[in-house]
Amino acid sequence: MMKKPFMILTICSIFFSLVISGCTQAKTGEETAQVETIAEKSPAEEVITLSFWHTYSENSPENDTLVNTLIPIFEEEHPNIKVETLIVPWEDFRSKLYTSIAGGVAPDLARIDIIWVPEFAEMGALVALDENIEDFQTIADQVFSGPLSTNAWNGHYYGLPLDTNTKAWFYNKAMYEAADILPPTSFDEMLEQCEAIKAVYPDSYYFATDGTFAWVTLPWIWSFGGSITDDAITTATGYLNGPGTVAAYESLLQLYNNGCIAPVILGSGIDVFTGYAQDNYASLDNGPWTFSIIESQFPDKEVSVSAFPAGPGGSINVVGGEDVVLFEKSKNKEAALEFMRFLLSEEYQLKMAEVGQIPVLKDAVNSDYMQNHPYYTVFLEQLTTSKSRTSHPKWEQMDQIITDAGQLILRGEKSVQEALDEAAAEIDILLQE
Amino acid sequence: MKNKKHLSAPYLFLFPGFVFLTLWLIYPMFKALQISFYDWNFLATIKNTFIGFDNYIRAFKDTIFLLSLKNTIVYAIVTVSGQLILGLSVALAIDRITCGKIFFRTAYYLPVVTSWVVCSLLFKFLFNASPAGLVNYALIDILHIIENGIPWLNEAGTAFLALFTLGIWKGVGWTMVIFLAALQSISKEVLEAAQIDGANEWQIIWYVIIPMLLPTIFLVIVMLTIGAFQTYIPINLITNGGPVHRTEVLLSYMYDQAFKNWDFGYASALSYILIIIVFSISQIQIKLSNQIEK
Amino acid sequence: MNQPIKTIGKKMFLYFLLLIGLFFTVTPFLYMLSTSLKENIFVFEFPPKFIPSNPTLQNYLTVLTTRQFDRYFMNSVFVTLLTTFSVVLMSSMMAFAFSRFTFKRKKLLSGLIRLFMMMPSMTLIVPQFILTSKMNLLNNLWGVIMVYIAQNLSLSVFLLTGFFKQIPVEIEEAAKIDGASPWQVFARIILPLSTPALATSAIFTSLGAWDEYVWAMTILNKPEMRTLPVGIASFHGQFVTDWGLVFAASVIAITPIIILFIFFQKYFVKGITAGSVKG
Repeated sequence: MMKKPFMILTICSIFFSLVISGCTQAKTGEETAQVETIAEKSPAEEVITLSFWHTYSENSPENDTLVNTLIPIFEEEHPNIKVETLIVPWEDFRSKLYTSIAGGVAPDLARIDIIWVPEFAEMGALVALDENIEDFQTIADQVFSGPLSTNAWNGHYYGLPLDTNTKAWFYNKAMYEAADILPPTSFDEMLEQCEAIKAVYPDSYYFATDGTFAWVTLPWIWSFGGSITDDAITTATGYLNGPGTVAAYESLLQLYNNGCIAPVILGSGIDVFTGYAQDNYASLDNGPWTFSIIESQFPDKEVSVSAFPAGPGGSINVVGGEDVVLFEKSKNKEAALEFMRFLLSEEYQLKMAEVGQIPVLKDAVNSDYMQNHPYYTVFLEQLTTSKSRTSHPKWEQMDQIITDAGQLILRGEKSVQEALDEAAAEIDILLQE
Repeated sequence: MKNKKHLSAPYLFLFPGFVFLTLWLIYPMFKALQISFYDWNFLATIKNTFIGFDNYIRAFKDTIFLLSLKNTIVYAIVTVSGQLILGLSVALAIDRITCGKIFFRTAYYLPVVTSWVVCSLLFKFLFNASPAGLVNYALIDILHIIENGIPWLNEAGTAFLALFTLGIWKGVGWTMVIFLAALQSISKEVLEAAQIDGANEWQIIWYVIIPMLLPTIFLVIVMLTIGAFQTYIPINLITNGGPVHRTEVLLSYMYDQAFKNWDFGYASALSYILIIIVFSISQIQIKLSNQIEK
Repeated sequence: MNQPIKTIGKKMFLYFLLLIGLFFTVTPFLYMLSTSLKENIFVFEFPPKFIPSNPTLQNYLTVLTTRQFDRYFMNSVFVTLLTTFSVVLMSSMMAFAFSRFTFKRKKLLSGLIRLFMMMPSMTLIVPQFILTSKMNLLNNLWGVIMVYIAQNLSLSVFLLTGFFKQIPVEIEEAAKIDGASPWQVFARIILPLSTPALATSAIFTSLGAWDEYVWAMTILNKPEMRTLPVGIASFHGQFVTDWGLVFAASVIAITPIIILFIFFQKYFVKGITAGSVKG
């Protein structure tokens, strides 16, 4: 008779203990790891474990170099610091960072897209490095100003550049030779070249890119002398819908209407790399990773690159790359800064250059390796004119507006001027919030 | 003493389950309602501001939300009709054959037990824009209906055709099973009486069977509709709401507001609008089914 | 004389229709299987082939060895087992209370259960996310399990209550006279008698937990934590979509369910039809 409530209570308590153990598991997980590492070493030394998040894929040469070559070097030089990396898929990275910051479980350091720095800085999630590293200016002087500037927000620097890249004009040598054309030096040549390609390859396309987001359209916009906003980033009207930008989109639309651009720009179709390798696409506007991607998937295809063609405004492409940032809630700031210095050392920068990461360090770029590299030189040259995307916490939403406008234009649903007028008005609202 | 123990027994049995439900369902229900009245910031660094019904008002002025609502309704109408008609037809057919019933029932039910993730990726593949995509290939080279491959996912209209096909394909088996069971419960005598009266097959189906199945049909429509309003995974994996937000449905738009724009307040308001819609549908079902039974 | 021919004709027609429908139902699966056996360059070859010209098991090897797939599989198994066990246990307890006792607020509580069944689960994702974050269960399989339990509990209670009600009360009377406590009645009499219903509940909960995607995707950060559906969706990557790989993973993921279904069909059918067919 006494058994019944007892049994029920036992079951309830088993459940609660399961629940509670689950709850505390996450909390104590980190602590026990640290306790263990401390217990391993002699009591005099305290081993600090740094967490470093990035988006290199697991079997990539970049990840391999980072984890198996470079980090061991650092750990040997700093026996009391261990670096633990975490791979987060690129598509999820921004949201995972956000939720981790909000949940209080952000890492010490992360390699993040340069365009996100203002957003996370605005949240108060990042440490202002110019105030916290004594030798900040020394390091800053050793890197190129372009990449460095991507870390600036509201009068401070919230990160350091880690690697940089830009895009250039990839051309399908076989197709160009068959059509008897050379890589274009100006936008004016494109329509003619497109006809030449179509004469030999009626089912293929002159140019392919996978969407109308800013990363794609900005080189056109800038090369035609346009821009998204004014320099002070206060308004888009007059700029996004200004004559230069309009001319850029008119050019894009004309090529599209003449069948020169592959349908994948509207959302789906053969992806750009497969198309290039299979002679569906004659030209791409893409980054240095194109070499390794095509090599791994289609080892027999020759990959050729040249400078991005010039428009009335010049030959201006987009600067991409990543910065390394230190999170405000990190408990190991000193150790983290040590690792940051390592990331900006010539040794690190040159080793990563071997696996497709263009260095930001002036000395590294001026090294023999970089200057004599089979294809980096094109990108380094392009980098001298490349511009950076708008540095603003609301960039992601601005990008969405620009993407949508481009889609409406190519689908013929709105005229170029109309679509850009509306997009500029929407962005103005964002900038004023 | 004895009475007290026996009175408390049911509560003790209910206790663990209701703890879970309270924590993970009831509390979130109220919390979502609360959040929907705020400009809510997930990060503790910025304060939450109370804005009353602003989020709801914003929803009804939001062209993309209204589009997603319309899309969801159209999706529901098309897929529910398709599943209903095809499911009933298959059930009627299987009911009439003698051997192979279990085989057919199993085969038709396969899509139902396959996960939405796998099915969505599969259909994205089948409806690929290239002429070698299976659907395009079938239409061009086998049926000779069209000349060039259709870029299904580049336009909202054709993308929805793909989504409708997936929605119907996935659910026919479920509807079929329900109707098969319902058909079993129709008394043989009524059917025999109708046959003796000289009714042919179609008349029997139309004038005898279907009227007797009305409660089931009704229930199926309601359940399928509620399910259709909750569709998310196919849109997320196949079109991601594109192009230009034209294939957004209620849940895909809500999710992006929450986890891309971090606008928890607005997302919660959108969730509550959906909750209200679903509840209204089930309330209508209860009222109407009570009427039908009379 | 016409009758037999007519009946045969009718039957043939029915079989014909059913076979056409079968074709449309099953072909996608077959093509998926076929694609999983192709190397990437053959996936979009023209004309597409159902039987691959150079079939290879490479995709399956890659999935099983280099992509942490086994991790995803084990995570899904862990989550599904724990969810199912908890749901079956707690829901059977609740169903017992609803079917065997009268007590204050019974109508209210059972009404609540029915309310929860109708609640679209994704609509609560925001507050559930906040709650999970506060309990420090983000990126933790337990956080996943908690919500899965909540999502599956009501349906199971509904199913089991219906079934328990059908067990005649007389069976317990004897035990009660002997002085058995409610718990003993529950554990020793009701549960053993309800194995089919418990199996149905277990199967439906397992299916729900195994295939769930949205919640798992939202709260799990680290790749090692992923469950199968999240893992498969992530194979469908950014640049070159490796369909062969995606489908090899998919085939591996759905095979256990399909086998389970083929052998335990009647439980699936019972579960769906319970409560939906009146009379």
